[in-house]
Amino acid sequence: MYFLSGWPRRLLCPLKGSEKPFHIQPDSRRLVFALLSQTQISLWYSRPSVLIVSYKESAKAASQFGSYERTEWKPDSSMIAVATANGYILLFDIVCSGQEKCLYEPVYPKGNPRVKVTPGYKEEQCAPSLTVEMKKVLDFQAKITSLQSMQDDLVIATNDGILHLIHWDGLTNGRKAINLCSVPFSVDLQSSRGPSLDFESVHIQDMEYGSTLDGFAVVFDDGRIGFVTPVSSKLTAENLHGVWAQEITDGTCVAVNNKYKLMAFGCANVFGAHLFCTLGGDFAHYSDGTKKEPMKISSMIHSTYLESNWPIKFAAIDQLGQCVAVAGKYGIAHYALFTRKWKLFGNITQEQNMAVTGGLAWWNDFIVLACYNLVDQQEELRLYLRSSNLDNVFAHITKVQSETLLINVFKDMVILFRVDCSICLYSIDRKDDGPNPTASVQVLQEVSMSRYIPHPSLVVSITLTSVRTETGITLKMPQQACAAESIMLNLAGQLIMLQRDRSGPQVREKDSVSKQKKLLPFCAPVVLAQCVENVWTTCRSNKQKRHLLEALWLNCGEAGMKVWLPLFPRDNRKPHSFLSRRIMLPFQINIYPLAVLFEDALVLGAVNETVLYDNLYTRNNEKEPLEVLFPFCTVERTSQIYLHHILRQLLVRNLGEQALLLAQSCVTLPYFPHVLELMLHEVLEEEATSREPIPDPLLPTVAKFITEFPLFLQTVVHCARKTEYALWNYLFAAVGNPKDLFEECLLAQDLDTAASYLIILQNMEVPAVSRQHATLLFSTALEHGKWDLCRHMIRFLKAIGAGELETPPPTPTHQEPSSTGGFEFFKHRSISFSQSVEGLSASKFNLQKTLSMPSGPSAKRWSKDVDSAENMYIDEMLWRHARRLLEEMRLKDLSSFAAQLGFELIGWLSKERTRAARVEDFVKALKRLHNDFLWPVPVIPSSCLVNSPFKNGKYKTVGEQFLNSQSTEPFVTSDLESGVINAHAGHICLSLNTAHTQTDSGSLQGPQTQDAILSPLLSKGDECSIGSATDLTETSSMVDGDWTMVDEGFSALSLTQSDLEYISMELANKGPRKSQVQLRYLMHIFMEAGCLEWCMIIALILRDSAVICQIISSIQHSEVPTDILQGIKSGMLAVDGWALADCPGYKPFLNRIKPQLQKLNEITEEQIQPEAFQPLSRVSISKTVEAPSSWTEDNRNAASHINSSQNDGSGITSRPEDDGQEEEEEQQLEDEGSYECSVS
Amino acid sequence: MIEVVAKLLRGPVFLTGEVMECVITFTNPMTARSTSASSEMLAWASAQIHCQFHTSESRVALPPSEDTKHDVQAENETVFVPNRGERGKCILATPPKILFCDLQLDPGESKSYSYCEPVPLDGPPSFRGQSVKYVYKLTVGCQRVNSAIKLLRVPFRVFVVYGLEDYQFPPDEAVAPTNPFLDEDENIKKDTRLVDLATEMLMTSTSRRSLHLYNITNMRGKVGKFCIFKTIYKIGEDVVGTFDFSEGDIPCLQFSVSLQTEEHVQEEYQRKPGQPVSLSTHARHQESCLHTAKTHFSLPIPLSATPSFITTVVSLKWRLHFEFVTARDPVEPPTVLENQSEIITWTGAGKIDVDTFSWDLPIKVLPTNPVLASYVSQFASSNSITI
Repeated sequence: MYFLSGWPRRLLCPLKGSEKPFHIQPDSRRLVFALLSQTQISLWYSRPSVLIVSYKESAKAASQFGSYERTEWKPDSSMIAVATANGYILLFDIVCSGQEKCLYEPVYPKGNPRVKVTPGYKEEQCAPSLTVEMKKVLDFQAKITSLQSMQDDLVIATNDGILHLIHWDGLTNGRKAINLCSVPFSVDLQSSRGPSLDFESVHIQDMEYGSTLDGFAVVFDDGRIGFVTPVSSKLTAENLHGVWAQEITDGTCVAVNNKYKLMAFGCANVFGAHLFCTLGGDFAHYSDGTKKEPMKISSMIHSTYLESNWPIKFAAIDQLGQCVAVAGKYGIAHYALFTRKWKLFGNITQEQNMAVTGGLAWWNDFIVLACYNLVDQQEELRLYLRSSNLDNVFAHITKVQSETLLINVFKDMVILFRVDCSICLYSIDRKDDGPNPTASVQVLQEVSMSRYIPHPSLVVSITLTSVRTETGITLKMPQQACAAESIMLNLAGQLIMLQRDRSGPQVREKDSVSKQKKLLPFCAPVVLAQCVENVWTTCRSNKQKRHLLEALWLNCGEAGMKVWLPLFPRDNRKPHSFLSRRIMLPFQINIYPLAVLFEDALVLGAVNETVLYDNLYTRNNEKEPLEVLFPFCTVERTSQIYLHHILRQLLVRNLGEQALLLAQSCVTLPYFPHVLELMLHEVLEEEATSREPIPDPLLPTVAKFITEFPLFLQTVVHCARKTEYALWNYLFAAVGNPKDLFEECLLAQDLDTAASYLIILQNMEVPAVSRQHATLLFSTALEHGKWDLCRHMIRFLKAIGAGELETPPPTPTHQEPSSTGGFEFFKHRSISFSQSVEGLSASKFNLQKTLSMPSGPSAKRWSKDVDSAENMYIDEMLWRHARRLLEEMRLKDLSSFAAQLGFELIGWLSKERTRAARVEDFVKALKRLHNDFLWPVPVIPSSCLVNSPFKNGKYKTVGEQFLNSQSTEPFVTSDLESGVINAHAGHICLSLNTAHTQTDSGSLQGPQTQDAILSPLLSKGDECSIGSATDLTETSSMVDGDWTMVDEGFSALSLTQSDLEYISMELANKGPRKSQVQLRYLMHIFMEAGCLEWCMIIALILRDSAVICQIISSIQHSEVPTDILQGIKSGMLAVDGWALADCPGYKPFLNRIKPQLQKLNEITEEQIQPEAFQPLSRVSISKTVEAPSSWTEDNRNAASHINSSQNDGSGITSRPEDDGQEEEEEQQLEDEGSYECSVS
Repeated sequence: MIEVVAKLLRGPVFLTGEVMECVITFTNPMTARSTSASSEMLAWASAQIHCQFHTSESRVALPPSEDTKHDVQAENETVFVPNRGERGKCILATPPKILFCDLQLDPGESKSYSYCEPVPLDGPPSFRGQSVKYVYKLTVGCQRVNSAIKLLRVPFRVFVVYGLEDYQFPPDEAVAPTNPFLDEDENIKKDTRLVDLATEMLMTSTSRRSLHLYNITNMRGKVGKFCIFKTIYKIGEDVVGTFDFSEGDIPCLQFSVSLQTEEHVQEEYQRKPGQPVSLSTHARHQESCLHTAKTHFSLPIPLSATPSFITTVVSLKWRLHFEFVTARDPVEPPTVLENQSEIITWTGAGKIDVDTFSWDLPIKVLPTNPVLASYVSQFASSNSITI
């Protein structure tokens, strides 16, 4: 396969003349090419592309011969023949001139640094000096239509139907002429005397000799084509035999591929199809065959190596895709990706004395190569170690008896194909005894193939594989799965397999232990496939992916790719007798495959891409620049999935079980959903658009197959949305009713997929049905907190209400995975809910307004069509959901819900103040908040707990980082009940900026030892309280880019045990900063809405006595329903009781707010009375709810009541609090929250 | 035994200002059934990003540091010093973040922590030059009670996209939502926005093509024309240029184009005054072009190369370095006359007296999308230690 790269180069003839060149003919080695114009022949060197010599006929001779027409080289490039218009053949000798070895040698001025160039450089960069001398003129007296070199002879066809044979030296053997009429032609070679053809008046117009074909491919002037071959070695009229192709009458030209034994005939005029020939690139591009990501690395081959050894003939990459070795004319060079360095021969003589002939390969850390040693004139097999210097000292060299044409490595074996048509297997062993590891090779087995191979150059590739025809053996003996079981040989496109012969007596286990492993002979070759360009197998094994790994992958050119897939009986049972062991499946890809990623079910390949530069040239130059005439060509490497083709083929062949096994081994691949989708889509498109009825449709089978995977629902709907509406009925007839599928999605809680089905339903069902389903989905989405979906559903429902169903909403919101499989999705046919940009940003905006103006403009959210029943309906649903969340005490969920959907929380809460916003169980609510906001329950310093029963309780920290924590265990919940520190008494010290931790216990107070659990004082250590781990060193040096500031205040963190304890404490007592902000925000909301019970609970969790004061005072100054007051009072009692019993950490705070609680008691006592006498007060309160600020100030009653109940229950004696310290802490807490609480 | 694995999910390449996320997993590898299985304790673990700066003694002279005792800490293994044992100086360090204190892992148990930290905005890009090196690392320190601190280092690569600060967040974005229940996904969005923004900015500044034509002339006359289609590239792109020698008076025998970086130490820090810049060649194209009218080259800028940058100590500039080998004497092309009575043969000259001259064309090389660069990074995105 050829890829174009860059632009063509344009050469400049240094001679000025009027004749235009019209014909190019390269010599056999492509080193020199001849250029013909009317009366002039010029020889050019190809690299560098310079004119060597030019010869122009004298005027007299030119008029005799006529103008030059075509030319042909002698195979050894020592002569060239020119055919002229008047039927002459001119033979020229090409002689190396004596004096000058090379041309255009630059002579640098003295002292120029360029003089010191690498040895060998000069010759490589210069063209040889040649002269052209006319040697002989032959007159054929007829127009010469074609001339062709054939070994020592030149074959000339003339328009009188005669083939002339002349010897290249033109003298010794004279000439022979064969009249085409005397050559017998038949339709194939077997029937020696076919129907006689009339070749009376025809002549050969074009011909080419094929050495491996041993004959000429010919085109006759009447457009017929054929092949002429000598029956015996002598090319005489009697021995010639021809074959002609029936029915072809429009042949114009011919080309032969000797490697693949191909003849290509041009039939018809060719319009505009140009063929480029590139001389080979200087870049190595590798796509790594083992890693998951196709790598896109290009690296330039070291120029020193390239200049003296151009062109690169072989390249090999190691297993890990990290090392590359290349071989040019002489020597080798290798490169490692991880060092980004090339290694060349240190000794240039060693490099120039070795020419790689058979290619190279990596074996672990070694480069294995087959080469010719120019000094010893000996064929060799060499191994070089990558890590050591590239030097023959470190090479392991084995002599080989004849030239190696191909080399390959399989596990610890090297396989060679030699010019004598034999295959040789070697084993490689690594030895680590010396300072450098060495490797040695040993002959294992030789197999002669001369019986099967007509010409060694026809062998394209040779590989050892573990592939066998019958998979049963590998099933029984899995260890053999990776043995070198067979040889794969590509003979001119025919893939031939030689399997080890296991029919003979099997070698017993103990025999095989003997040192000289007896290798089994090979069976007779079997042809597996035709037209094979490339073969891939692997010796890796993976029990989960046996289908993919044990398959043989083929690239068959125009026929696409093929896979020789093993078939396994399910559960390793005995295979069914009718089940063959392997199956050959063809599939098409639209890239040129370069590598197969076995496990990933991917093919990596290349495509030619072009970049246009023509738009840059707006002003018209006198000559069209190349950049305008030609696009810039690049080779792009890409990947393609193919699995859907194979699965489908298996299903067609009733191998559903195999398809399932194969597919199940690939479910973890990221593009597996896409594979299913592609398969469904392709079959659907084909069968639904078929003009004729399909007798045995595949779609039901494919649908049934996909139901085996959890992705079924998703696959179907994605496929539907990429398909025209007209095909939907056909699709759903096969896969099932979309309503049922929608419900299945809901059951499976796959809401996004359900939403996709809704669009299907919207198009296929009446509005009432889609509305009903939309409602169902909406409430489920609310429950799952799928806010984007909720927003879409709100729009969707509104659209139904507004009667917009007739016009399907345009833009898609769900990003469908883009297609890489090569079919066009229907981009224009996408349907979705979203109609306007009204989305997240809008709701955010509303929310901000909500905060500032609690009852006002947020209601405008639905103001567009306030009257719409749909809006009422939606609002009802939102209210219902909010109520449920609140009743279930899910404040966090409620807040997220309100924030995300722009739900006006304060107004709604005000309405619910006496209903859903009541709190029945304070303790439960408190626990729930602790849990939901990852807020730790307070902990008493360990020193206070010396005698505590919680001494051995587990202790866990909760820090800010934990919000993102991936920990599998919910870190707070389990420890909530016993959040007690278990650590040694000690002191706390935090050292910043300095290295030496001065743990001076005197400088900081440790927590004072207290009596019991009752009221531990928070130690003064709190003064240097740390909010989170991050704050710890915020004051430490943050050095910017200026290096001069280095070291001045280098930040280091030093932690002693006591530090740790301290930090732990801090982390334990305070939740994540974010939760704190959220809780304070909530507090504000509930305060605004007048939901005092919740305010109390949030204040408790924040341990904010100031807020408690505010609540109490607001109770005092406003009319609060008695049952709410009672609720707060009993709730606080319950909390107190719980703290005493289960959570002593709360006690200090509860004690601190005792005065406030007492006040509360007083108020409740006072209010009980009026309520008894004024049963209507409740009604009036609910009226005033809308305007909390208008609450009238209540009379203060002097009646006081000692909170006996609290003391009764607990039996705790309270201590006077250190108020100053508390104040400080409160201050601090307030600073950290960003919301100020104030009650209007 | 505890295994600590740090994994950079997005790959090991980041922009300055971008939040790097590293998932650090602590595992007690013993299976619960194993007889020797027991719970393992770690006192604490902490993580920090730092940038280490290393200079070549022979090329860079830094003023003596005021604090000469900076290495004292490095010896102390009970202090968390992220660059302990490393050469050079730490020029940037984020505040250390504590991942946890007192972690207990039962046999088979594993816990993961996500460390998120913005890569400091004002840092230099990662660079390994001949005079200076800037190396970024994330260091995870962890300690068992009464043992030395163990460090796990995760090197990563940093790109600086100049001008991104001005480009950043449009004014309306600045009005962040005040509802604390909304900002959950905001940070993630902001971060991907940064990469998107940078990619977009790089795209706009490198995708524009225009014709830049240069006449190549030496003192003897006109040699040819050089054409390049843009002068600002991203790493990973190919530099494509064309030559036209068809209208030159002076034959050009050879040319070479090298893609080079110049590493220039700022004057005040040069060891020797006027010391030459350090050059390194990343790709080279050489061609013989005596009878060539038009040709071109395509040089890949390695994805692993450092884009152009400048710090107070060093600057890195990219250029194309050209060398031409030209004939000393202008050659008038010989004319082949028609209808001559004699055979005419023409043979090329054996030797040509030549001159050499060179030319430099500065180009700009910018970073690329960090995700793209991650594919070919020499750093593994996951590192581990066992303690």
